[in-house]
Amino acid sequence: MSEDEEDQSPPPSDLRSQQQQQRPPCSPNKSRNCISSSSQTFPDHVLENVLENVLQFLESRTDRNAASLVCKLWWKVEGLTRSEVFIGNCYALSPTRLTQRFKRVRSLLLKGKPRFADFNLMPPDWGANFAPWVSTMAKAYPWLEKVDLKRIFVSDDDLALLAHSFPGFKELILVCCEGFGTSGIAVVANKCRKLKVLDLIESEVTDDEVDWISCFPEDVTCLESLAFDCVEAPINFKALEALVIRSPFLRKLRLNRFVSLEEVHRLLLGAPQLTSLGTGSFKHDNQSEQEQEPDYAAAFRACKSVVCLSGFRELMPEYLPAILPVCANLTSLNFSYANISPDMFKPIIHTCHKLQVFWALDSICDEGLQAVAATCKELRELRIFPFDPREDSEGPVSELGLQAISEGCRKLESVLYFCQRMTNAALIAMSHNCPELTVFRLCIMGRHRPDHVTGKAMDEGFGAIVKNCKKLTRLAVSGLLTDQAFRYMGEYGKLIRTLSVAFAGDSDMALRHVLEGCPRLQKLEIRDSPFGDVALRSGMHRYYNMRFVWMSACSLSMGCCKDVARAMPNLVVEVIGSDDDDENREFVETLYMYRSLDGPRKDAPQFVTIL
Amino acid sequence: MEGCPRNICPKLLDLIPQGREWYHEENNNTDQEKKLELRLGPPGGYEEDRSAKKNTETRNNNIMKEQTEISSPSKNHLSPCNKANVSHISQKRTAPGPVVGWPPVRSFRKNLASTSSSKLGNESSHVSHINKNGDGVTQVEPKREGMFVKINMDSVPIGRKIDLNAYNSYEQLSFAVDKLFRGLLAAQRDTSSGEREEKPIIGLLDGKGEFTLTYEDNEGDKMLVGDVPWQMFISSVKRLRVIKSSEISSALRFGCRRR
Repeated sequence: MSEDEEDQSPPPSDLRSQQQQQRPPCSPNKSRNCISSSSQTFPDHVLENVLENVLQFLESRTDRNAASLVCKLWWKVEGLTRSEVFIGNCYALSPTRLTQRFKRVRSLLLKGKPRFADFNLMPPDWGANFAPWVSTMAKAYPWLEKVDLKRIFVSDDDLALLAHSFPGFKELILVCCEGFGTSGIAVVANKCRKLKVLDLIESEVTDDEVDWISCFPEDVTCLESLAFDCVEAPINFKALEALVIRSPFLRKLRLNRFVSLEEVHRLLLGAPQLTSLGTGSFKHDNQSEQEQEPDYAAAFRACKSVVCLSGFRELMPEYLPAILPVCANLTSLNFSYANISPDMFKPIIHTCHKLQVFWALDSICDEGLQAVAATCKELRELRIFPFDPREDSEGPVSELGLQAISEGCRKLESVLYFCQRMTNAALIAMSHNCPELTVFRLCIMGRHRPDHVTGKAMDEGFGAIVKNCKKLTRLAVSGLLTDQAFRYMGEYGKLIRTLSVAFAGDSDMALRHVLEGCPRLQKLEIRDSPFGDVALRSGMHRYYNMRFVWMSACSLSMGCCKDVARAMPNLVVEVIGSDDDDENREFVETLYMYRSLDGPRKDAPQFVTIL
Repeated sequence: MEGCPRNICPKLLDLIPQGREWYHEENNNTDQEKKLELRLGPPGGYEEDRSAKKNTETRNNNIMKEQTEISSPSKNHLSPCNKANVSHISQKRTAPGPVVGWPPVRSFRKNLASTSSSKLGNESSHVSHINKNGDGVTQVEPKREGMFVKINMDSVPIGRKIDLNAYNSYEQLSFAVDKLFRGLLAAQRDTSSGEREEKPIIGLLDGKGEFTLTYEDNEGDKMLVGDVPWQMFISSVKRLRVIKSSEISSALRFGCRRR
């Protein structure tokens, strides 16, 4: 779930002017209406062909966006040759506009709800439905091969329509989605004969009690990746085993917790070519009939290609050493579902010299992090999640672990760290030690908590991060923060694209610093901070260039939100309240606003007011 | 947490300072008083804390939202409506009670205590906090601190919040709901009769009363309260709703958003 690059939609004005231009039919000898004067020497269609042959090699989204702005001809040809479309906000445009501009799309990446919806800050049924997209694309892109959705509501009917409409369909990736169940997955498994990738990641999948694994076709499959660790339903293991055996191209397999360790063992023996494995429940069933325990280590030893390991749900730590044979090759290790103590952890991590991505629970403690720092010199990404995610729980990790990591892992690029206490000194150290940082997300779980050694606000620490980490594009802040922290962000955070703020700042000035100082800001999400109308107004020069702004439990008035909506007609300004909204409430509960080429959406539920 | 039950007498609650309200003082706080304030950091001069003073209004709003949803009386008591009035608070303790969506951990990561295997290989002191009982086994325990869920009632516009950890059985919950809404319901029904006749709200669990208690679980499904064991109910309930018994079938049918 790495973050995206620049947005693909151009500023609204371009598209509007294009809409006005209607191309009349013309004879081949006459050159068509085209701005580029160079087309005077060649017939237009020749130039178009040449351009098409060249532009089809352009892959990068940003390059394509740039190319499409050269002139109308390039716009048109680029639209014909773009095969992979990224839409960062499903409400920024309508499906019809997509199919009108891009004619030969093979792959769609679509994002829906804002991220704070993951934390219950938004009532359910807000929107972001896949239905209009799949029905429009079913008619326009019968050759569609890949769909990658994030935070989208997908129903079983949508999945059925997808399975029936796209005969060449190859890749379905659903991240943080909901609305469907195993019956929808069964249809996809059954009808998409060319399916290579079926990845269900962190999605809510209802158990319709359908044996979807058995629905895959009987002959050899094209499967390369199958991930269903989030499916909370038992599966037919025999069918899974048979599926793995007849999937010679399978490289990535992520099992859910209903697959036992013995079953994983059997799968591994039959699929030594795996490169990425998500184990199911990592516990041995003591009641099993076998007299001797299976040699789990031998199964792992046979998997010479495994470089990515995850799962470990319901872990019995005494079986953890079974993975030792593959540790030396691992580039990615995810222990974030496993409650592992430092003593169990250290022998494992000391063999993982090649590790680049490491996710874990804070149960490994500062001691475990020190072990990581000592061994994993190639580490690029670190995520430490809280085993006990409450504000006042004891925190087993602190600034000590973070400091150790910064000293040992100099190539670090991405950090997500949950803790209960932190110091400015550790952040300052990290800012100096890890210049490659592009993502820095620190969550000090106690709200408004200062540096626990000096008692000061965390301003200087975060200030150092934005100042010294010159490649920083994503930042999430926490702890006690004054306006000064935001002054630093505005002054130094010139590349920041995503900013996440909670329970921070003193006044409107804080948000003003950011809105006035961060020219690349695309995604802004703020909760429970004292920012009001003055701050909101100060960003009006930016909002058309941003993907979205989220502000909840701040001090915004309805009047000001209405003013913004009136002043910026291409901005959709949603005010979201809860069901039992008190009409006398002084402030807007939640503001979510985003630019849109097609005006306000028609599917807004009752609790959303579009100004 | 404190023994004061939060669902009774919300107005009384407002008058009893607790948690951070001790530190929420008016503007005439002297330095002397400041030094006596309890803080998180080491004692001593905190000149720089003047810069750390915050607009407490938003936070006070949040605190009040956590405790009750009755808006005007509590709001006026603790938070002066004047935005410009920034209270001089230097240090903040964390507020009592959980806040929605904080810490920002997705729900499937929050159930680790119940789904992960309980035994740790070596019980070092580092992880002793994870072992809630001394016998080395982490238990599926309900959270000790308040577990507040929203509760609404048909024909009562104002919702409330109820601390489910204060009860151990459906009967206790039913009783609490009655106490919570009896007065409000009577106020709603009060037309021109002038007399407020407060009828007890009974039969919430057996379908025999005028109202029935329902809930929405973590999958978004609407269910009747009382079918599953109490602990299972506690672990999956997200919000409560008291509906008219006559509307049970339609409410439950339209409540499920899947399929």
